[in-house]
Amino acid sequence: MNVNPIKRFLKGRGTFIAELVRRDFVERFAGSILGSMWAFIWPLVNLFVYIVIFGKLMGARLPGSSEINAYGIYLAVGLIPWTCFANTIARTTSVFLDKKSVISKVQISLPSLLLFVNLSEVVTYIISMLILAVFLACNGFEINPRLIYLPFIFYLQQILALGIGTLTATLTVFFRDLKELVGVIMQLWFWFTPIVYVADILPPTVKKILLFNPVFPIIESYQRIIVFKDLPETHIILWLTVASHLLLLVAYKLFRILEKDVRDAL
Amino acid sequence: MIYVEDVSKIFKLYRHPGYRLKEVFFKKQYHKKFTALNRISLTVNNGETVGIIGRNGAGKSTLLKLLTGVMIPESGTIKIDGKITGLLELGTGFNPEFTGRENIFLNSTYAGLTREEVEFRLDDIINFSELGQYIDEPLKTYSSGMAMRLAFATAIHAEPDAFVVDEALSVGDASFQQKCIARIKEFKDKGGAIVFVSHDLNAVKVLCDRAIMLERGTVVEEGDPEQVINAYNRSLSKQTDSASAGDETRQNCYGNMKVVIEKLQLLDEDGKEIKVIVSRQKIKIKFYLAIREDIGDITLGILIRDRFGQDIYGTNSNHLGKKIKGISGERKIVEFMIDDFFLGAGKYTLTAAVHTEATHIDQCYHWIDHACSFAVVMNADTIFSGICDMQAQLKICGKVT
Repeated sequence: MNVNPIKRFLKGRGTFIAELVRRDFVERFAGSILGSMWAFIWPLVNLFVYIVIFGKLMGARLPGSSEINAYGIYLAVGLIPWTCFANTIARTTSVFLDKKSVISKVQISLPSLLLFVNLSEVVTYIISMLILAVFLACNGFEINPRLIYLPFIFYLQQILALGIGTLTATLTVFFRDLKELVGVIMQLWFWFTPIVYVADILPPTVKKILLFNPVFPIIESYQRIIVFKDLPETHIILWLTVASHLLLLVAYKLFRILEKDVRDAL
Repeated sequence: MIYVEDVSKIFKLYRHPGYRLKEVFFKKQYHKKFTALNRISLTVNNGETVGIIGRNGAGKSTLLKLLTGVMIPESGTIKIDGKITGLLELGTGFNPEFTGRENIFLNSTYAGLTREEVEFRLDDIINFSELGQYIDEPLKTYSSGMAMRLAFATAIHAEPDAFVVDEALSVGDASFQQKCIARIKEFKDKGGAIVFVSHDLNAVKVLCDRAIMLERGTVVEEGDPEQVINAYNRSLSKQTDSASAGDETRQNCYGNMKVVIEKLQLLDEDGKEIKVIVSRQKIKIKFYLAIREDIGDITLGILIRDRFGQDIYGTNSNHLGKKIKGISGERKIVEFMIDDFFLGAGKYTLTAAVHTEATHIDQCYHWIDHACSFAVVMNADTIFSGICDMQAQLKICGKVT
């Protein structure tokens, strides 16, 4: 994808999107006493559940590892990106409907709404990841060059989410059932991705189908980099890079074709 | 400057939203078309205010939505030099959970201002909105008038190059409306282009340099506001006319039909039939009566009612001291003459009756409720408020010493 149109798009809309993201956090916790502290409380509680409940109390162990925290970390490493990915798609899907009152009254660029939801989830993700990083650092995790891959893996994940989200957001306006359908699909998709379990426990036939799951290489890369101290599978990542950008391009084109109808239908 | 050329907006109406999707994939037409705007062209120069009037559904709001970019036209071009803001209905994109202050920030961001720019203007906006301490209360606690004040203040302080005002302004109280109007004028003098949509025809007259009348998505009248408003009033009365003439007229009549009102006409001074009376005009109401039996003296009466059905004025031949003889087989023409029709603007109906003596209680020959309807409009020389012109005089008695 050419860089210029993106730059042109962001020019002037940058502040707008940033303000929307800021608003999103204020809005979400508006009227609550702890306010945006909740953005930190949630990931802390989640991490506590993964590590303490699953790892310590339930005694779940990662196959081939005797370390007590290993499963909890495995779970957190898969779940945090997945949550970000799934929330991005879910919120993007309904963003036009949610912001209907604004869209039908003020001139507002619809793509910036799509982008703002994505960025808002990115912020949540970064907070969660920082908390995890602190935990890992306390547990003697060593900084190593493999971590350099993480931002790119994350970027791919959000590009994929943006592509899917653009597609579903556009179509949901005409076909409202899609919002529910997306929820159902995300739920199934979650269990079809090795996040709470390891890929090795799957029967060989299912494992073959797993190759068609575009989130699998993303989550697997996280797990490889952080848990298994390994490198991501480069050729799959390359393939995914092309595919996710292509999907985003197609989704955006479709959105442009239907934009007039989207605005009418709201 | 606002520049609209040959713009059409067609809405596709679907029986079910799913059909829209089906259409995209199957290339078969599943919708009915509704043309909201049909090849509209319009130019609003800098420093000019153009009023848009028209009945409900004429396409006014659609046009504003196209101007503000909320909707995209089917064909044609819309060009706006610079930034456009405005008031589309109430509370343009306000969030009810946020305080007034936060909503100013949010809304200004939509209008493309940065945080610093908003902070710079914040005091002006709050002062203009007259919200005082309420500015830090959540918007949901505001009255609709307060929300409108905030919306207007925010929109006008975004320093747009073009401004649109929808019906929203009518929510504010009189003093704030005047303040808004003063501010709009100021904006105009600085060279801003304004599009003003209202059902308040007087406001259109006062504010606009030009006016446009829309009907079913097309411009049917354009030019001087006075002339366009008159055309609009004419079309309004035509509308009520065609709707009521057939059914309403004859249904509401009763009586023993010994005398029948065959026809009645509303005429101007020259005997031309009219439907719209200009306040203070001279009019005649002409009756054609057919008498079918010998019944002695008959009384013919009229009654004018306003749009709420309240009796405004009534009289009859008995009150006026005239006798009409009822001789079988005769047909008579009777005229009521009103030299100075001093009712205020509005819609009225005329009820007519023939009966005995002073009232219709003893014997009623023929009574027609809503025998005809008419509108009263004001012209520029006879402006007053309320339902009747009491023709007050004014004397300035000099200084107090």
